[in-house]
Amino acid sequence: MQPQKTEQFTVPIGPQHPALKEPSSFLISVDGEVVTNAIVRLGYAHRGIEKATESRTYVQNLYLLERICGICSHIHGTAFAMGVERLAGVEVPPRAQAIRLIIAELERIHSHMLWLGVGAHQGGFDALFMFSWRDRETVMDLLESISGNRVNYSANVLGGVKFDLTAAHIGDILKALDYLEERTHHYLKVVTTDASFLQRTRGIGTMTRHQAEVLGAIGPTARASGVLRDVRIEAPYGAYVDHPVTTITDDRGDLEARFAVRIKELFESYRLIREVLDDLPPGDIKTRVKRKIPEGEAAFRVEAPRGELFYFIKSDGTDIPSRVKVRTPTICNMTSVVKLAVGHQLADVPMILAGIDPCFSCNDRMVRVNRNNGSDGWTWEQLRQHGIEYYKQRSQDYDPLVVG
Amino acid sequence: MPTSMTTAEAITLATDVLVNWVWPVEAAPPAPDRLDVTLKEPKELIPMVTALRVQRLGYLSAITGLDLGPEDGRLEILYQFCVAAAVITIRVPIPREDATIQSLTDLIPGAEPYERELSEMFGVTVVGMRNPLRLYLPDDWPEGVYPLRKDFDPSVLHNHHKEQSDAAAED
Repeated sequence: MQPQKTEQFTVPIGPQHPALKEPSSFLISVDGEVVTNAIVRLGYAHRGIEKATESRTYVQNLYLLERICGICSHIHGTAFAMGVERLAGVEVPPRAQAIRLIIAELERIHSHMLWLGVGAHQGGFDALFMFSWRDRETVMDLLESISGNRVNYSANVLGGVKFDLTAAHIGDILKALDYLEERTHHYLKVVTTDASFLQRTRGIGTMTRHQAEVLGAIGPTARASGVLRDVRIEAPYGAYVDHPVTTITDDRGDLEARFAVRIKELFESYRLIREVLDDLPPGDIKTRVKRKIPEGEAAFRVEAPRGELFYFIKSDGTDIPSRVKVRTPTICNMTSVVKLAVGHQLADVPMILAGIDPCFSCNDRMVRVNRNNGSDGWTWEQLRQHGIEYYKQRSQDYDPLVVG
Repeated sequence: MPTSMTTAEAITLATDVLVNWVWPVEAAPPAPDRLDVTLKEPKELIPMVTALRVQRLGYLSAITGLDLGPEDGRLEILYQFCVAAAVITIRVPIPREDATIQSLTDLIPGAEPYERELSEMFGVTVVGMRNPLRLYLPDDWPEGVYPLRKDFDPSVLHNHHKEQSDAAAED
């Protein structure tokens, strides 16, 4: 008798919004409801940033690289600035280091809360999604009051930071932290006790410690599988040297562990910000960095909210870098999604994807294609003129504004 | 326990493994926490990475491509391994015109996306890749155009897309 032939069916997920509101494409092969293979295709938000750095000065690049990601913009700027400062042999004042740390931890808080909402939404728990995003606004307001921007705060300059923390800022931050801490206790209780939510997270997408190491997982995803990988501890930089971090790990490796680890990391961020604010060093917030950077190569690693962010900068002695390589955390963890999805129900795939806290803008960053329905692309001047006309029609006149 | 290895221990061990290699290698410590080893032959890559894996020395943090330019005629592939604060780099110079390198995916499955990126951005043929599909570049990207090479000319894309849309208009 012939064995029964099994039919394989391929479900394309994406490129529009496979889990969160960002583009990426997955080809999922299924046997019934069970996933048998998954292939990832990225690049839908690819903007050619690495190539673009090779035609801009270090100062311009600082702002460009910050725009790799809207969520973890500060950490990109920090990694680049600290790499360049290392090449230039510049010591950044302690107060600037402390302010960099505070902004980085505030960023981690809002990123983790954003993720908590997205994760909850994928699990069908929209009340948690809305509450966590409401509370995330507390941090966004803080960042706006400090820097003037909700995202892309541009806190860094080469050689320090752009703005100081006033007594009023410090008061606001401490007050906000008390509120957030109370809320975070509640969230931790919810994700570890809510029975219906646990059905979507407990034992789902489990990655063992060994798998995490072999697949090269990093950040909270690796820490939820018991792998202690945190650049803030392994290679402390800036103010983390004087203010050590306690890493939170969990050995279970499933989605529940990833929720627990990220929420517990919030408490660590609150503690760290309070500790640094308590002992904020006085003095300057920036030091001068020469326009031309001495010849050399620097590799700089920082801990972004999603894990290790790796920058490699090569200078040829001019004011324009010869090469900037950015390796973002999501790309490391993407391998784990593709492997972990196999054997799970198709319905669990979005949760597993959301579990690594993917950031596709981070993933995709290099090449820009001018494609405007077959016509030639726009020049910078045309784009600027379009912007001016656009706002003029909405009764805001930016024409007299001279840029450059 | 590899995770508790200090930076200094890692650099010492890496020096022991890589610098005192079977064949002589060029090595330089650009900073106290870095070790750069330049390979003479690309075929030494796999044995060297295997040696690092056997010692459980760090994890592959990034594969960086560098184009040294048409005059120099070489590409340089940097395999960066991290442990504690140490960054151990294996540098592999290969000719620009015949850019071929062995895949690491049998040793390090997580290297797959890095190699796919390297391959499409620098025009490096990675032998033994499990999934040689494009990762970032669009499906209609012209063949033989590698954007991160120094002599990449974006106007190629203008012409390519213009030809495509003209062809579509004729149909």
